Amino acid sequence: MFHRFRSGAGEHLLVVPYSRVFDLSADLARAFDQSGADQAALVDALAAPEPGEAPLGDVVMPTPQSISLNVSSSCNLACSYCYAARGSFGGAQDRPMTWDTARAAIDALVERADPTAPITIGFLGGEPFLNRALVHACVEYAQMQAARSRLDIRFSVTTNGTLLRPDDLALIRAHRFAVTVSIDGDKDVQNRQRPRAGKVHDSFALLRAAVAPLLADPGRTKIAARATVTRHDLDLSRRFAAILEIGFPEIGFAPLRVHATRGDDVGDALRDADWPLYLDALTTVARSEIARCRNGSMIRLTNLAVALKQIRYGASSPYPCGAGGGYFSVAANGRWYACHRAIGVEDFALGDNAGLDFERRRRFVAQRHVHAQAACRMCWARYLCSGGCHQEATARTESACGFVRGWLEFCFGAYCELSDGEAMRRNCVEGSCNEQVRIERA
Amino acid sequence: MSKSELNALDHIKLIPRNAPALRKSRENNPMPHLVAGNPVSTRLESGIGNCFPGLECDLRNLERRFFPFLEMDMPGNEITLVRVDLDGAVAARRKDEITQEALCAYTTLAAGGAWVVEALAGSFGPLGQLKLRMSDLGTPSTGARRRPPDPWTAVRLLTEGTDVDIVLRRSPVKKGGEKVSLTGKRTRYLGEDGALATMFLPGELTQSLCSPWTHDFRDCACYYWASNHPDIALPPFPSEPTNDPKWYKAVPWERSDRTLDKLPEPATYNDPTPIELRHYEINRRWQVLNFVIERREQLGPYEQQHFAGKPLANKQVLEAHLRYAAGVELAVVQEYLAAAFSLKSPEQLSGRLRDDVRAAHSEIMRIAIGEMRHLRAVNDVLASLIKRPAYKPALGVATKIPGVKLGTYVPVRPQPLTKDALQNFINVEAPSESVDGVYADILATLEQRSSSEEIQAIRTVMAEGEDHYRTFLAIQEWLSPYTHDEYLRIADVKPPPDDDSYRTLQEQYADLLVLLYKAYKVGMPQGAAELNTARNAMIGKGGIVAAAEAVARKGTLVTFVTPKDPRFTAVAPPP
Repeated sequence: MFHRFRSGAGEHLLVVPYSRVFDLSADLARAFDQSGADQAALVDALAAPEPGEAPLGDVVMPTPQSISLNVSSSCNLACSYCYAARGSFGGAQDRPMTWDTARAAIDALVERADPTAPITIGFLGGEPFLNRALVHACVEYAQMQAARSRLDIRFSVTTNGTLLRPDDLALIRAHRFAVTVSIDGDKDVQNRQRPRAGKVHDSFALLRAAVAPLLADPGRTKIAARATVTRHDLDLSRRFAAILEIGFPEIGFAPLRVHATRGDDVGDALRDADWPLYLDALTTVARSEIARCRNGSMIRLTNLAVALKQIRYGASSPYPCGAGGGYFSVAANGRWYACHRAIGVEDFALGDNAGLDFERRRRFVAQRHVHAQAACRMCWARYLCSGGCHQEATARTESACGFVRGWLEFCFGAYCELSDGEAMRRNCVEGSCNEQVRIERA
Repeated sequence: MSKSELNALDHIKLIPRNAPALRKSRENNPMPHLVAGNPVSTRLESGIGNCFPGLECDLRNLERRFFPFLEMDMPGNEITLVRVDLDGAVAARRKDEITQEALCAYTTLAAGGAWVVEALAGSFGPLGQLKLRMSDLGTPSTGARRRPPDPWTAVRLLTEGTDVDIVLRRSPVKKGGEKVSLTGKRTRYLGEDGALATMFLPGELTQSLCSPWTHDFRDCACYYWASNHPDIALPPFPSEPTNDPKWYKAVPWERSDRTLDKLPEPATYNDPTPIELRHYEINRRWQVLNFVIERREQLGPYEQQHFAGKPLANKQVLEAHLRYAAGVELAVVQEYLAAAFSLKSPEQLSGRLRDDVRAAHSEIMRIAIGEMRHLRAVNDVLASLIKRPAYKPALGVATKIPGVKLGTYVPVRPQPLTKDALQNFINVEAPSESVDGVYADILATLEQRSSSEEIQAIRTVMAEGEDHYRTFLAIQEWLSPYTHDEYLRIADVKPPPDDDSYRTLQEQYADLLVLLYKAYKVGMPQGAAELNTARNAMIGKGGIVAAAEAVARKGTLVTFVTPKDPRFTAVAPPP
């Protein structure tokens, strides 16, 4: 029900339901630490929901507000760890998406969405810009449909960045995309982990050239780099610096937990022994960002920025993501899957352009509620991690989860040290989470 | 952590650090929200609790646990036992806080049956140590041997923490019926921390309330509603103006028949319920109740009476008017005191007459004292106008005082409170007449030149005249059934000048004026000692009240002779 932690700012208490953070006096902290289950009464009171706070045990089935279109079935790179097997998903996505399918998906989204909240259309693959005609067409069409229905529409794309052309950049700028560029590090790392398929020239140079104009002049585009970390190279600081050097304003690290291609073979995924090293590497990068932040700079490590923002606003959910809830991924054949990583996985197929199967969907979300995960039941991070990516469930080991908790504890401590409690209490505004976090010392 | 540690936690703040923590603790307190059903108005410091039974908190419930381990109800004329806290008594016995005998008594009471309190002995506040039988309260209600009027009042008088002996009898009370006696300390209302004692259970204080309030408004018999719920008022004037005295008799304000231009039946002592709006009618027809201004129901926009006071020419003229005003106050003090002391002493009377005479005496004294305060107020205004040390206190009585008609004067004439004299008082104090005329020009002048404090002082004097007017009307009503012989002890006869009591009175009066002069001359706080001495000289042992009483008991009029001292020369009305 609660988790005790400390930071440079003193002793703290995290009330697990609803992620409430409190400062404790030294005496109170001692009292908490000494006795066993007796502080239950106080914690129970703190854990009880306030008006407006949804019960955490609820299985929720919101209207779909966000879809990704798997527009492409291929990729010009050959990253070893690709969950999509370069876009084909092992045969489940054997051709690119057609215009009819895409349009039907967009129509379905526009029709079903809750008009009081934004809708998002994302483009994935393979490499989405291999089907750039469809991307452009979808954006124009969706924008028009949304305007007609008075919906607030946003776009996103995850791309390897190597094929971006000026008209692509123009589209991105014009429609305020959120662009995630997959880049794993400097030239060496990048070329090793993300080689070009069958070509000699490195992807790093290609990428660098292609994104440079966008980085130089992003307009209102939100750009972030996403670096996959395999067990072969945990030197995050170096990678971080290298990617920054290209000009990316923000970088997020994603450790490889599951090697998608085959069952037992862990492949490049992090193993139990690697997690402590990974935690160490990530917190090292985080600490240097925190130091810069104290001098007024923005935090460029996405993992840390998002964590701080979520702690501030109190992220607390029994679900790790919107899969099967508010988010669906549409395959080239028009089937709607709970998640873009699960194209072709039957359990995750919950409907199609014509509609969603209520029972399948309900079963899907009920099974993935964090209360239904045996391993998660007693974990204090259960409403923050919420069980993690559904596709990585097999990789929930003590060590991997230990990393999650260690990282979260670090972030909580950082939050308490960085944030000014007084200013927050004075100016607390329950705002939207759309802006980049800038934690400043008052 | 232990229960006590947890309780200690309540006092320790948990500082919220993020948005969901802040939602939990709006005021940095982890137990923040007030639960529906315990409105803040039930807190004693904010509630409007009264004893009849109250809108937010029934204060009578505070007495229910006046005796340790017993819970009582006090409906009407009995104190009945509701519950015994036998566990508490047993625990107290274990700690040797009560005797075994007492525990047996508690056990007997707890065993069942109906019990009533037969007798209470203890320290009853101003009534002192008494042994009271509950069946024997109410009379006498006055004097040194007076008894509380009802059991609840008796309990209320008991001093916290003092010994109380209680005797309970099985009900219905029979001769030789079973009896239980207990001794204990009267419980305290508050605990160590200043909050209500923990013996009161949640909800106990609000378990009896008026509900809904509109019904209570209809039926409330206490004085809580004094200004918004008059029982009677003068009827709204008919569309044609009239001086017909019938329209000057008060009528029931909540009457059901609201026909305009028709004179309602005047209010009587009889129960007006048959002609009044019913409870459900009140809920729907409350809009028909009229505003009452200056005692009369108003139907249309109200125009306040304005005094055509004219600002006086200059400071000297203002001073002259103020001195004369002070003189008028002193003159009416003398007249009212003479009237008050002319009434028979209540001890000589009985029944309704005694009550009416006592009331009349109290009220006239209240008015007389009020005029003395006016005398002081006028002197304060004078002092701030003239400024010390130049200021000379105005303590000279007026040679004549304003008559009923503006511009006329009558001599100062202390006399017994005959019906004529009383009518005179009424006429003099009537609004917009005479005495107000004295102040109207002063007020107009001050409004031009003075501080708000002085303006308010004069306004207050004028406003209190309105209260005096109505009080005299009431006195007239109280004394109307009686003859002069019945309520007066004095003929219009002055005492002989060499009479001892009379001479004492005059000496004391002269001394009093000197004390007041000294006190006013130097102002406050320097004059405080003199002023206090002056007060004592009036009401203290062997003071003026006693001297006046001595004169009156001889059947002679209480009058005050102006001393020859030049400081107290009588004042004529200004030209």
